[in-house]
Amino acid sequence: MNGSPLDRRRFLNTAVLGTATAVVGATALGSVAPEAAFAANRPDGVGGGDLSAPDPNFAEGRITGITGSMLMVAGSDRTLHRIRLTAATSVWKLRPTTLDQAKVGDGLYARGVRMGDGTLAADAVWLNIVNLVVHISSIGRDVIHFDHHGDRVVGHVIAGTTAAVYNDTPAVNDLSLLKVGGHAQVIGAWRPDTNEVDIATVYAAA
Amino acid sequence: MVAWITSLLPAVVGGVLVWAGAFKLAGRRAAAVARRGALPGLVGKDRAVPVYRAVGGVELAVGALLLLPPVAAADAVASTVLCVGFLGFLGYSRAVAPESSCGCLSDKHTPVRWRSFARAAVLAVASGLALLGTAHWVDAVASRPAAAVAVLLGAALVVVALSEDLDGYWLMPLRRLRVRLRHPLGRTAAAGFDVPVASSVQQLLRSPAYLAAGGWVRSDLLDTWDEGEWRILNYAARYGERQATAVFAVPRTRYEPAEVRGALVDEADRSVLWQHAQEPVPA
Repeated sequence: MNGSPLDRRRFLNTAVLGTATAVVGATALGSVAPEAAFAANRPDGVGGGDLSAPDPNFAEGRITGITGSMLMVAGSDRTLHRIRLTAATSVWKLRPTTLDQAKVGDGLYARGVRMGDGTLAADAVWLNIVNLVVHISSIGRDVIHFDHHGDRVVGHVIAGTTAAVYNDTPAVNDLSLLKVGGHAQVIGAWRPDTNEVDIATVYAAA
Repeated sequence: MVAWITSLLPAVVGGVLVWAGAFKLAGRRAAAVARRGALPGLVGKDRAVPVYRAVGGVELAVGALLLLPPVAAADAVASTVLCVGFLGFLGYSRAVAPESSCGCLSDKHTPVRWRSFARAAVLAVASGLALLGTAHWVDAVASRPAAAVAVLLGAALVVVALSEDLDGYWLMPLRRLRVRLRHPLGRTAAAGFDVPVASSVQQLLRSPAYLAAGGWVRSDLLDTWDEGEWRILNYAARYGERQATAVFAVPRTRYEPAEVRGALVDEADRSVLWQHAQEPVPA
C-alpha cells in the first residue's frame, strides 16, 4: 500500500523533516494536547478498572508454535495465548527486528489489545528480553561474566549493538569503562535454555 | 621424606577445620547460612541451625585434635570420616538443591560446584595421608623450617584456590588488575563515534516532541535509519480510531532533545496528522 520500503522511508523523512508539509487539520480530530492521549478511553484500559486482575492486554511465556503471523504462547502460569502480529507490531530481539526472527522456544513479552476472540493483537513484542541486576565477575574478549545472585551468567558483547550507559549519561558503544566487581544492570536477549545472554545495554557506574 | 610431608598435613587439615568450625559456631550470619543451605531439607527446618552448629563443634574439636599433640591415628581417622561426610553432603546438596549455598567456610553465597567437591576431596585425601605421619607437625616444621613453610604455603594456596568463598580476596583483584592493564573490551572505545540506537531512543524519550506525541505511540521502536545528521525513529501509533505512524527525527551526533522533530502520519492516505511545532530559537 505504501510502495517500496525506500519510497516509504522517503515519505516519512519528508513528513518529519520537511518544512512545507501540509498538516491535515489535527485539531479537527480533537485535542492535540498530550493529556487527551493519556486520558481515559485508551483501548488498553490503562487508567481504570480492576487493578488486581491480570492485565488482559499483556502476555508472557514461551513460543510453542508460529502460524503465519500468529504466535502460540504458553504462559508461565500455563495460560495459553494466541498473539497476532501486524505490520504495525514492533518486534524486539536484541534490536528492533521482524517476526521472521521469532523461533519456537523463544521467551516473549507482548503488549497489545485483547480482541473478542481471545487473541491478543500485539502492539509490541519483546523476544527473550531479560533485565538482570548483576555483579561483573570477569571481563574477556567479547564476553562479560556476570554473577546474578550466585548464578553465573555469560554476557556476549555484540559489536555494533551492545551499548553502555554510564551514570545515566547517553548510551555509548564504549564498554572499556566497565569494572570487574562492579554492579551493573543488563538488558539483553536470553539465548533460550542456556545461562547466556546477548547484551543490548549495560548500565553501570563509571 | 614422605613421612615428613605427611606429618605436616594435620596442620593444613586442622587449620581448615578449625576455621570452618569457628565460623559455624561464632559467625555472625552462620544461622542464616544454615537456613539457606541444603541442611533444612536433610534434617528439617527447625533442626538446621542446631545441626549446623553441632557440625561446627565437631569440626572445631577434630581440628584441635589434629593441631595439638599427641599424634594419634584416631585424629586422622576422625578427620577423614568428617571430610568424606562433607563430600556426601555436597553430593546431596548438588542433587537436591543445586543453587543452595555450601556454607562451608564463610557466609558468602557460593553454590556447590566442582571446586567445593575438589576441596573436600583434597582434605579427605590429606586426612587419609596424615595416617602415615609419625611426628607432630610442630616438630616436623622445626626439623626443616624453610621446606616446611614452602609445603604449608603450597597447601594453603591449593585450599584457597579451591575455595570459591575466598575469590573476593584474590581472584577478583587479579581480574581487576588485568582489566586495568589491558581492558579486553578496550577496542570498543576505539570503534569510532558511532552513536548506538539506544542513545537516540534515550534522547527521544527526553524530548518535548515525544512528550507531546508519546501518548499516541502504541509500539516499541519499529524501524530506524539515518538521514544525514538525523536519525529517524518510527513507531506505530493510534490517533483516535486511526492507525498512524509516529516518526521522529533525533539529532544523530548531538544531544539536543529540544531539537527533536516529530510527526504523526497516516500511511494509508499519506496525510500528515500532526507535526511537532518547535519552540522558536531566541535570536
